[in-house]
This record gives sequence, structure tokens and C-alpha cells, in this order.
Amino acid sequence: MMSEPSLKEQLAAYEALFEKTGHLYGYESLARKESDPGTYEAVWHILSNICNAAWSVGCMASTSPVAAEGGDALWALHTPTGDAICVSRGITAHPGLLADMIKNFIRLGYEDHPGFENGDIFENNDPHYGGIHTPDFDMCMPIRYKGKLVAWASSVTHVNDVGMAQPGSIGFLNPNVFADGLTFSMEKVGESDRYYPWYDLRIRSRTRTPDYVLGDARGRLAGCITIRERLFEVIEKYGLDFILDASKEYVEDSRRYAVSRVRTQAIPGRIRKSQFKDLAMKGKRVLDPSQDIDCLFNLPMEMTVNADATVKLSLRGASGTVPFGQNISPTALKSGLLNGYSHIVGFDMFNSGPTASWEVEMPPSGSWANPFEKDFFASSGVAWAPAVIWMSSLYEVFGRLFQMRGFVEEMAAGAATTMTAEFAGQTQLGMYLASLTLEQASNGSPARGYADGENSAWCIYTPNADFGSAEVIEGYLPIMYLGRNIEPDSGGYGQFRGGLGHTAVWMIYGTTGIDYQCGCAGMRSKVLPNHGMYGAYPTWPDRPSYAHDTNLKELIDAQKPLIHERGPAEDPTITRIITARQMEDAAIAPFITPEPLQNYDVILHPVSGAQSMGDPITRDPISIEEDLNKGWTSRRVAEEIHGLVVKQESERDFIVDVAASEKRRQQIRAERIAKAVPFKEWWAVERTKIEARENMDEAVLHMWRTSMELSPSYGEELLAFWALPDDFVF
Amino acid sequence: MAEFHKADIEKLIDGVLPWPATQDIIKSPKDSDRFDKYIEIMQERVTFKETILLPLTPMLFIVSADGARVVKCRCGHDFGDYRTNWKLSSLIHVRDDEASLGEIYKGREMPDPSWTQLREYICPGCGSQLEVEAMPRGCPPDFEFLPDLDTFYSEWLGRPLPDSVASEDKTLETIADWSAAK
Repeated sequence: MMSEPSLKEQLAAYEALFEKTGHLYGYESLARKESDPGTYEAVWHILSNICNAAWSVGCMASTSPVAAEGGDALWALHTPTGDAICVSRGITAHPGLLADMIKNFIRLGYEDHPGFENGDIFENNDPHYGGIHTPDFDMCMPIRYKGKLVAWASSVTHVNDVGMAQPGSIGFLNPNVFADGLTFSMEKVGESDRYYPWYDLRIRSRTRTPDYVLGDARGRLAGCITIRERLFEVIEKYGLDFILDASKEYVEDSRRYAVSRVRTQAIPGRIRKSQFKDLAMKGKRVLDPSQDIDCLFNLPMEMTVNADATVKLSLRGASGTVPFGQNISPTALKSGLLNGYSHIVGFDMFNSGPTASWEVEMPPSGSWANPFEKDFFASSGVAWAPAVIWMSSLYEVFGRLFQMRGFVEEMAAGAATTMTAEFAGQTQLGMYLASLTLEQASNGSPARGYADGENSAWCIYTPNADFGSAEVIEGYLPIMYLGRNIEPDSGGYGQFRGGLGHTAVWMIYGTTGIDYQCGCAGMRSKVLPNHGMYGAYPTWPDRPSYAHDTNLKELIDAQKPLIHERGPAEDPTITRIITARQMEDAAIAPFITPEPLQNYDVILHPVSGAQSMGDPITRDPISIEEDLNKGWTSRRVAEEIHGLVVKQESERDFIVDVAASEKRRQQIRAERIAKAVPFKEWWAVERTKIEARENMDEAVLHMWRTSMELSPSYGEELLAFWALPDDFVF
Repeated sequence: MAEFHKADIEKLIDGVLPWPATQDIIKSPKDSDRFDKYIEIMQERVTFKETILLPLTPMLFIVSADGARVVKCRCGHDFGDYRTNWKLSSLIHVRDDEASLGEIYKGREMPDPSWTQLREYICPGCGSQLEVEAMPRGCPPDFEFLPDLDTFYSEWLGRPLPDSVASEDKTLETIADWSAAK
């Protein structure tokens, strides 16, 4: 009798079959689906529900604020060779990483040693081996049924603190990998459904919040055991052969769906979208002298939709690595991309399938998107940050393609940003805590092709956007909510506006001192998003406010008005109401407060809205009137940007004069033509300014230098466009 | 396969279709004739007679004009060969200092003009703001989409266009002409 091929051999055979046939596992037909579509569909939903049950069990078992209140975790079920079959709700950037991790365990020969047995626990959080950043603990467990390895269960949780140089989990300040904290590098960390004792000891000695980190470990394990035990029940009911066949068919089915969706709803061709993000750290509290710099990232996207409806993505022109935690490995980048792609294109069965239908060109070596070949010790403390801004382009790019085909109901403008709020210090219970709040998980959603986006109801990294209950967060952290308000005009200006973001207003209370870490997990504070889709104005930069050593207690004692909202951009409430020894009303993020905050200090943490689409003077006047009367836009924006004529009867009683507005809008069109110049004329002047590097910050110049050096063809095209000499260097 | 009335598609485009009907369109399998209906609707809304080959944006269209494929605005303004970035034939207004950026972004909303500039592309024919770019100085304008029209019509729609042209980016040829004339 022939022995079964090893997993490594099976993996190689499947790759060869895909190469030969263009179908995953060589499945040119979907036999189980075709012969018994009802059972096929039913089992899919059962398996999906098993993953979601694991999510509920795991998050509750965890007890950490990030998982228990925020649900910032995910569980998945995989084929024996690692492909994700189905996935729970939660942080959907991870199924690709989890699948790659299992494949890496197989490729590294772990099947022979230490072997894959029921109850074994394997983990990785090391970006050098496919992790995204160390706080995201990726874990998997083999599932054997009657001795045969039939599947894997996997999980990821985002732990509160992983022992980075700076407390917390958004390691934007890490200068190099040595500041990235505790790593588990492709390790077996337990067996017989239990972690090894030394796993516990390492976490206790090397993280600041070990009870929560171990709580997350418990949650991951509980969820994976849930998947395994319930899968056994499904196998008993439907038979092992059916489950093994159907599992692979679900993945191939999903690949076919993604390809077919592109072919029937998009257009072949080449799409380009530039994108930029800043990281301005000069003069701020940093960990290493090399970090006293400002950085600008170049995040270009070139996407080609091929004749066979496969998709190729290129990052040609990406700028160089940075001495901060914002570098990402190509493996993690691709997994992050699966998240965006699954939202936009392949979301019928969310699994590994769609990744097989697109090719991501290896990003330039030495860029933020492929750091380790040239800078092995580059930090990935918050690798997600540049990737998420790059991914935002994917929404707009596909939105444009869907429009061209007439499917306006599928369109989206660009995404919102991810600016985090993390605290580290003593809580009101006298214990030390380093923890994220969850405010960032509830952005406005992108404008749609037929309507505005939704307010505070969307998040790029999880389909279940949830900023957590204020009362629960107040229980974890020494903060009190003075406000949590929709932020007017935070969704850009267009025919359809982005969903609005919100601002949390916190008063520090019950601590002997706590750091506020306004972190970058994908935000901008100096530049605007390049998301002026169809003539809209993009959202403004992320600018939080805080006041340290304030008069707030005196205001409370005197029962005077407190601060509950940001107020107008030119007349901020914080400067009107609060006096303080230290105040920033428009701080350039990210940063850590120079001194620990104390009781009665104030923070205004804005969570961004998403992008608009369309010329602002074509927005429906009645929609603007409604926004005015809800306090969601200002009279200035209505008049100066949307071109309306507005009368105000009382504070919340605005009336738009539609006929007069139409005349005003015609006038604006004429004014635009009079004010603008032919492109050629501008080009001739602009190229001389570029040559003279006029009004170009050093961060901009450095970005162009690295982009051109790492991608010579990108540099050649840039020089040719501006007719600059071949030897021109920024 | 679902089929929807042209009038409902029009309402959807204009953002006035009631939410239940919009949901129905979102949830249903896609209608295979959507592209044709969309083109029909757009053709009725533009001021020119040439046949629309592709709606590039809600305002700009690649049309077949006397055997050439050119980009036209809804108002009829001609931006030339679709293989050259239409922005080169546009009007442009650039905000690259605090005074001009401050007309849009006030106080704490203000981006840093030495890091970014805001480019507004205006149609010379009707004054529509067609695209807005936010980029640092030095970035060439995005050529958002260069379609492979022949593959689309022949292989994806199964009805080849009467002629075919190579889908190649001609933008730098125009720049070279400008450069030579400097």
C-alpha cells in the first residue's frame, strides 16, 4: 500500500496543478457543488458559523479590553495544506498571514520534527517569518481525525502589550527590530491543548500586562479547540471525504467568483493612483537620535486588469525604509491587501481563493514594503500603517472601474485613516495598564456612487466596526468621556460626501500619571489624502488636541461649562474654555505626550471620516440643508465650497434658496475657468520650481530620492514628465 | 439573472432611488445589460452626438469621433486622444500656499504647503471640477485609467469595435513635443 504524500509534497503538487490548469488543486470542475449544491451550501454556512462561534468564545475567554470589548481578533479554518477555507468576523487583514504561516510550518519540515499532532499549539508573531507586527500573535493547531491530518484551526489576537521599547501595541516609535519586543519565531508553544509552562514565564517576564496577554493566549486556544471539536461533529455528520473535497472547492469557488466579478463588473486596462503619508517626528519625544526627522512615504499603486480578468498590482516607486516601526514585509502586505480586496471584489466566500487570482509584484527591495533584504533589522512595530493607506487606493480604484461598467451601487471612494489612542500608566484601580482604546474602529465609511457614506460605522480592518462602550472603556482606563460626537465636515466635500468621523473628548481621572500615545496605524497629519475622486475635496489631516495641567477642576467646582466637542477649526473650544500649562489644539500626530498626563487633563481625539466623490457644487442642496440642520456641516462650507445661498432663521433652522444657489453655482463655474490656467502653462512654470526644489520640505525631497533610486524606471518616467535632465537628483 | 428598469438605474445614479429598491439592486445577481443601459442613459445626458465607448468618469467619456477615440466632457469639450492623460488638455488651478489652501481648509485643517499641493482640474468648456489631486511637488498627475478597449469589447463583451488601436500610454509624447518647443 502506498503511503500518503507528506504535506510538503501535497503543497508542491497543488502549486504545480494550479500552474498547469489555472485552477486551485487542479479542480477544473466543482464536483461536490455540482452533485449536491444544497449540502455544499449548508456545510459552508455551518463551517462559517463554527469560526464565528470560535470568535465569540475566544474573545470572551480572553478578558483583555482589546479582544473582549473590541473583538480585535479572528479565527479561521484551513485545509491540510494551509489555505483558509472560512474565517470568523474580526480583523480580516489576517487570513492571508495565517494561511502563509501554516504553509511555512509545512515548508520548514515541522511535519517531521516536531510533528503535527492534535493539541499541538504553534505560534508566530515575528515579521521576519511572515508576521505583520509583534503584538499580533498568529497561532495554529493541527486537526487530526482518526489519525489523519484533515484541517487546521488558526487564530490571531492583538495583545495589549508585547514588551516593545515603548509600552503598548502600536509601535510607531520603534527605531529597529530590537525595540519590537517579545517574539515567537515559528515556535511550538504547547501540546495536549496546553501552553508550555515556559511560555507563561516568558510572557510574565517580558510584557507589561502579562495577565491580559495570557488571557488572549487562553482565548486563542479556546477558539481553536471550539473549531476542532465542532469540526469533528460536522465530519461525523457529512463524512470525511465530503468535508475534505468541499473544503478545497470552497477555496477554488471563491477564486472563480473573484475572477468572474472582475470580468463582469470591471474593465481591462491600467490604473494608477498615487498616495502619500507623512510621519513627522522632528523635535518630538523619540527613542533614538536617528529619529529626529520628518518622513514622507510614497505609496503608489499601479493595477493592471488583464484580459483573463486576473489582476496585477505594483508598488513601483515606493520610497525607502524608515527608522520607525512603519515597514512591512511583502507577505504581510499581501495579506493586508486580501482584506481590502475581499471588501471590494471577492466577498462571497471570504477565504484564500481570491489571492490566487492576482499577482503582487515584489515591491522594490529596500522600500518600506520590502525592507529586510537591505535593512534586516528594520522595525515593523506598526507595519500596518503605510499598508492601510496604500490599500485605501484600492477602494477608489475599483470604485472607478465599477462606475465605468455602470455598477454605481458597488462604488466606494477612498477610506478613512486609522489614528489610535493608547494609554500607558497607572489606572484608577492602582494597577499598571498599557492599552488601546477602540475609538479608531468606527470611522465614517467611503462615499458611495449613489449616496453619502455612513457616519461612524465603518473600519478598514474589520467588518464589524465597533468603538466599544464608553462605560466599559472608562472601567479599564483612567479616563472619563466628556463627549463622543459626530465631527461636522469630516467626510470631505463632494457630490456624495464620506461618512463623518467622530471626536472623543476625554478627561483624565483617577491616575498618578499616564502617557497618551496618539499613534499612527495609518494616518496623515501634514498632507491630504490623494482622494479627490471626480473633483471632490479630500478629508483634512488628522490633528488631535490635548491640554496638560488644566483649570478643569476649577470649572467643575464652579459648575461652569466644560468642554464636550472640538468646535470650529478657527475657534477651537479647547482654547476658549480651557487654560493649561501645556496645550496643543492642532497637534501634528503621531506623538507621545511629552510628560505623563494627570487628573483633569483633556484630550480631544478625532477619528476620521472617509472620502467624498464628485464636484462639490453638484451636491444636492436639500442634502446640504439637512446636514446644516443636523449640525453636520457649517454655513461656511455650504456657501463657500458647495456654492449655496443660505438663510438662517435660528441656530438649527437653515433654509437653502435653491434658485439663487443655482445661479451662484453657475457663477462659480465661470470663476473657475477665469482663475485656472491651461495645464501646459502651469507645467512650464512648475518644472522650473521642481528643478529649483522650491518650497519642497526635506522630507519630500528625501522621499523622491529614495523612490527614484529604488525604482529606476519610475524615476525615469518622473524626469521625462517634467523634462528634467537625466542626471537630476532631488 | 436580474433585470432592472432603465428608469430605476437612472434614479440610482442620481441618488434618488428609494432605499428598499436600492437594496434590491445591491442584493440581486448583477444584470448583464447594465453597461448598455448605463451607456444609453449617459448618451441621453450628454450634449454631443458621438457614440460613447466608455464612461471614464461620471463627467468624462471616451467616444468614437470620426474614427478616433477621444475623451469628451459631458458639455462636449474635447480633451483629445484617450491614450494621452486628458489632464494635459485641462485647465488647472493649484493651491500650494496657506492663502489658497485656506479657502478650503481652515485653522487646524490646514495641510503643510511645503509637503503637499492641491491641484484642481477644471473643464474649459463648462467649469466642472473634474478631478482633484493632493500631491507633493514633483509628482506627475495620475493617469487614472488607460483602458484596453479592444480587449474589453472583443473578448469581454463579444462585439469587437470596427477598428482597433494599440493600448499604449502616449502622455510622454505630448510632453516631448512641449519640451522640444521650449
